[in-house]
Amino acid sequence: MSFQYPLGLLGLIGIPILVLIYIIKSKYTEQTVSATYLWTLSERFLKKKRKDNKLTGIISLILQILAIAIISLTIAHPVLTIPNGANEYCFILDSSGSMSMEMENSKSRFDIGKEKIKEIIEDSGNGSLYTLICVDNNTTTVFEKETDKDDALLLLDELQSGFGSQSISTALSKAQSYFDANKGALTYLVTDKAYSETENIELINVASAKDNYALSDVTYDYSVLGNLTVNGYVTSYESDAIINLQAIAGEESAQKEVSVKKGEATKFSFDLYIESFDSATVKILNSDALSLDNECVLYNVNKANSYKTLLISKTPFFLETVLKSVGSESITVMSPEDYLTKEENKSREIKGYGLYVFHSCNPKAVPDDGSVWLINSTASIENSGFNYQGEIKLDKAENITKTKASASTVRKLLSDVDGSEIYVSRYSKYDTYRNFDTLFTHNGNPVIFTGVNTYGNREVVFAFDLHNSDLPLLADYVFLVNNLIEFSFPSVIDEAFYECGEKAQINIVSNCESIRVESPRGKISHLSTNEIVSEFQLDEIGVYTVTATIAGQVRSFNVYSAMADDEKDPVTDNEGKISLLGEASGEGFDGIYDKLIIFFICLAVIMAADWVVYCYDKYQLR
Amino acid sequence: MKNSIINEEFLQQIEALQTLIRNNVAGLFGGTHQSKTYGSSCEFADYRDYIPGDDITKIDWNAYARFERLYQKLYLDERQMHTKIYIDASRSMEYGRADKAEQALRLAATIAYLSLNEMDKVSIYAIRDKEVIEIISGMVGKDSYIGEIGKLNSLEFNGDSHISDAIIPTNVGYGDGMSVIISDFLTDNDYENAINHLADKKRDVFCIQVLSPDELNPKIRGKVHLYDSESVEKVYRKNIKKDIMQAYRKALEYVQERINTVCASRGASYLLVSSEDQMGDVFFGKLVEKEVLK
Repeated sequence: MSFQYPLGLLGLIGIPILVLIYIIKSKYTEQTVSATYLWTLSERFLKKKRKDNKLTGIISLILQILAIAIISLTIAHPVLTIPNGANEYCFILDSSGSMSMEMENSKSRFDIGKEKIKEIIEDSGNGSLYTLICVDNNTTTVFEKETDKDDALLLLDELQSGFGSQSISTALSKAQSYFDANKGALTYLVTDKAYSETENIELINVASAKDNYALSDVTYDYSVLGNLTVNGYVTSYESDAIINLQAIAGEESAQKEVSVKKGEATKFSFDLYIESFDSATVKILNSDALSLDNECVLYNVNKANSYKTLLISKTPFFLETVLKSVGSESITVMSPEDYLTKEENKSREIKGYGLYVFHSCNPKAVPDDGSVWLINSTASIENSGFNYQGEIKLDKAENITKTKASASTVRKLLSDVDGSEIYVSRYSKYDTYRNFDTLFTHNGNPVIFTGVNTYGNREVVFAFDLHNSDLPLLADYVFLVNNLIEFSFPSVIDEAFYECGEKAQINIVSNCESIRVESPRGKISHLSTNEIVSEFQLDEIGVYTVTATIAGQVRSFNVYSAMADDEKDPVTDNEGKISLLGEASGEGFDGIYDKLIIFFICLAVIMAADWVVYCYDKYQLR
Repeated sequence: MKNSIINEEFLQQIEALQTLIRNNVAGLFGGTHQSKTYGSSCEFADYRDYIPGDDITKIDWNAYARFERLYQKLYLDERQMHTKIYIDASRSMEYGRADKAEQALRLAATIAYLSLNEMDKVSIYAIRDKEVIEIISGMVGKDSYIGEIGKLNSLEFNGDSHISDAIIPTNVGYGDGMSVIISDFLTDNDYENAINHLADKKRDVFCIQVLSPDELNPKIRGKVHLYDSESVEKVYRKNIKKDIMQAYRKALEYVQERINTVCASRGASYLLVSSEDQMGDVFFGKLVEKEVLK
């Protein structure tokens, strides 16, 4: 027997102190009373004592000593050692999406797996070590070398199934490290996947055949005329089936039955007419063991990325045409005089646009809430990042030079642009005081350049009027404007449909102040806005809501995370062999029995109570 | 008086009380106690035939008018009694948490006042060893009370007391009032003979046992060596536990029972008074209840 807190034994010092007090107290105290007559007379009424009653004098002391000894031992927490009674256990619990599949009594495979682990822990000897590793897309160590059985069971009880795909390699390498350290360690893999062979790992398979239907490869096509086509595949994994499908988009919905053969992905298609397409949901109406793969939500990415443009120009034709041709749907045209008046009056009408295009217009300052194009500015503009230094007039139109810079942003901006045939007859000379990427120059003077203005908004500058150049007549014009639009107003999301386990990407646009992501289970995370692109891991199945605050405006986007295809099959085929390298020794280590504490506590209480009752009875402490 | 607890207000209150004398056969004229003999009080008792020589003022002329015979009206006689109060002046009376001696003196002073209020004569004695020491002798009238009662202050409580040996040889009187013995009665010494003697002398005997709370409900526990306040030879050495306490209570009951039995067998009254009891409770409660006072 050993003690968990040996300092508690210091309490035994109380015993000699108690004996000392007892000896001191054993002396007769002298006292004078008015008359001893009654005391002496009381002898006549005293019952004759039994011989063993002589012991009663020290019963109180014995009880006190026992109480102190047992309380001290209780504090010291005695632990019995049981030779070879404990083991080290390492559990690898598959928490991938397929483990959510419902089995008997509404229990999921994951719940059944937890119960199996619980049984092993409960049957194990005290003093054993427990490690639990959960695997789906990520490998999470829930507890490591836990010695407290109750704590381990509590943590196990609180575990929830994940949604991703099983990725066991990291967990196996962790288990290998435990096995290397202790060849007697027992490793269990609790999963619904089938493995042909295992070595040094005990496989607990919780899979069984169950009906499961799943949607896959669901896509949409939406035309400006309002025709929405939703295509996809549906699979029945256990048997041939007639599957009822439903598609819902806004207030429109449609249903159809699809005859599906076991294991074969069968194509389906829905045609709906809808004026404004935000999202569409496709559902399997049949009930099955796993509901997570029975629904898909598709979001209109273009709608999420739409923006408004304010074009300030006296002659907007070239610009309006090209902007529309590259997908800008909402363009407001305004004359420079009108804009300057409204700017003077601080009108709210010139606020709230995603893109401001100033053509031959010199605003007092660049707008602070959107990307800015400045074309042929003939004055210095506040916060623009450059100063106007005068006009350069050429005798005849001259070719401008495409930059040879190889930076990725420049390459992206000049993608598909030849640039060899662009001529200008006059242009403005600018002195830049912020960092800009120059795309084209003339005699060393930047004539087309891009960058970020003082407000942090993206800015594109043309130093010449389009009317003084052949650029609008060239094919380069469309490519260049398209690239500049993508630069000025990058899409917040490029894709809205992912598989669970993938990483969703969010483009950080100008003036993006914060990005908040809420998972289907309500888990909230905030993304960094310092990078051009921010990513977040999709660990759950369902709709993730992304809320971005851009220049004070809140914009929400939805991203759907679907179940991984490889998790939809209720009974997987052979996944191969898994093993831990080395030879198992099969030896445990010394276990402990620490429940003695309860016995000692009970004993201490009984002794203390007995002593109190004894004193109460003997000395009439009332 | 050690502490002037007997205040004027209390004395005025007890004036309403009256002692009940049973063996009222003797006594002197002029008291307020009705005698068993006919006398000259105002209270009518009976008729008898007129005998020449009788007081003609007591002839009932109305009866003569009806019966044409002379009848003499008889009235109850009222006698003055002699109340004798014996105080146990042994050392044990003065020892303890609440002073039994003070309580004994208070009781004696109050009973004395009560008797004086009834026009009786009062004597107060102290019993020490085998002697009766006269402290106040033949006190009559309330006017003398204030002057005389102060003598109790000089009473010292010392030594032992032998009640019978002290009282019997003295002149205790015959049928002329009440004899009050105030003691703790915690002694082996004889007191039964004194009660018998007084009863034989046709006196109303009233025993008051005064005990302190320490004696009624002692708090002593554990190993103790007890000394008697009256004698160093009397010691008691024990580990006092529950069984001894039970035996003590039985002993206390035995002592009370013993006095009570002796008193009852001789028509005497017995009263247990705690030294903590208030005089009001004793006189208006216990004594009225015992029919010693009315």
